[in-house]
Amino acid sequence: MKLALISDIHGNLEALRAVLSDIDKQDVDKIHCLGDIIGYGCNPTECLDLVAQSCDIILLGNHEYVALGLLEESAMNEVARQSTEWTCDHLSDSNLETIANLDLEASVENTYLVHACPYEPDQWHYMLRPEEAVVGFDNFIEQIGFFGHSHVPMIFTLYPQGTCSAKPGHDIDPDPDCRYLVNVGSVGQPRDLDPRSSYVIYDSESRDVRFHRVEYDIGLVQQKMTKANIHSMLVERLLVGR
Amino acid sequence: MAEITVKFDDKVIERIVTEKKRISIGRTHDNDIVLENRGVSRKHAMIEFNDNAAVIIDNESLNGTFVNNRKISEEVLRDEDTITIGKYALIYHTQSTGGDEMAGLDGTMVLNTKKQKEMLERDKVERRIVEQHGGSVLTGEENCEFAEYRIDRDVITIGKAKFVHVKAKGFMLSGIQAKIVKEDCGYSLVNLGRKNKTSVNGELTERTMLKNGDLISVGKSTFKFVEGKD
Repeated sequence: MKLALISDIHGNLEALRAVLSDIDKQDVDKIHCLGDIIGYGCNPTECLDLVAQSCDIILLGNHEYVALGLLEESAMNEVARQSTEWTCDHLSDSNLETIANLDLEASVENTYLVHACPYEPDQWHYMLRPEEAVVGFDNFIEQIGFFGHSHVPMIFTLYPQGTCSAKPGHDIDPDPDCRYLVNVGSVGQPRDLDPRSSYVIYDSESRDVRFHRVEYDIGLVQQKMTKANIHSMLVERLLVGR
Repeated sequence: MAEITVKFDDKVIERIVTEKKRISIGRTHDNDIVLENRGVSRKHAMIEFNDNAAVIIDNESLNGTFVNNRKISEEVLRDEDTITIGKYALIYHTQSTGGDEMAGLDGTMVLNTKKQKEMLERDKVERRIVEQHGGSVLTGEENCEFAEYRIDRDVITIGKAKFVHVKAKGFMLSGIQAKIVKEDCGYSLVNLGRKNKTSVNGELTERTMLKNGDLISVGKSTFKFVEGKD
């Protein structure tokens, strides 16, 4: 079974459409979404609807968690807080009902899925360094786990002798003796200095992990965001991918 | 001669006719009117009788004294005024009513006394629970996985997802169906998921400030909110 894994769409409808149309060409059986469908971008409702139509498993991200009022807004920086307020003002009751039904983690086709970290998934810990990933590995049993949250495509490898390495996202043919935590990158707001949308295709038979990057009309999204009065920092970062 | 009628849960439980110049009201047994309820301070308030007037004075009680639903520190009482202290209502009459409300209903009174005892017993149990936990608690009433759950954080999630703090049962319930949120002056219950699944004391709600003793139903599960000092 071929699975496409997408994450961190952040209300960027043009990027989501471009990614879904790219996935369409890859003969994929199912699409799973690892959360943060909303926040920052100007089409939260449309993205939620499109994800609900296209994806099989949809997980809760911290931005959905905030929209349900389960995380203190005071814990966010000013730009994130403003963007959260904007997003919440634009969500419908049925959007909130959809979000309220999402799960924090899932196990499917011998893989584990989570938005941020397998350890305390509702605390939204970042895994950017091997020592953080080691704690993550302790909290799921599958060989491969997929996550998002930091918007940076990455691979953590846990070797049989217990050491852990971190590398930028790259295609792998997993070693049966190793375990992996794969950050699939972000559809709507990449932060690895490559502004193209990122997603991953995983083949559950061969266990191959393949990264994909997709171009979309960034200029159009920036125009829409500026028109919607979204903070310029969030508009500008799309072009540089950071 | 003035009379005070004491009501608990809308039932008359005591009728006091006094010739004293001053009567004290509070939780401990050295008061003239003893109100056994944890919303009542030990020396909660007093009523002073002058020639033709009665004055109620709140003794800086924790939860306050109310006359006709208005919080007071000192107030001249008029005929039929209702004084609220904790869960009790005290009705002030300038003239003795002769016990009309109690007369001729001996059987009912026995029942009321029994019921009152049960209520007081329940109140004692609740007091023990919140004291033991050191704050507000949910008690499991129906289809719950716990007997007592201490509300120990600013947001408690309720629903059928694996990760929520309080699991609820029921058909078509959302993963996170509702939340209990700490506000400046207490806790509120907010429905988050599907409509028509969350109610307080049998009434469907989207958002309600919780009061002590409220019965919260989420799907088929029912919890009681027992308010403590958080």
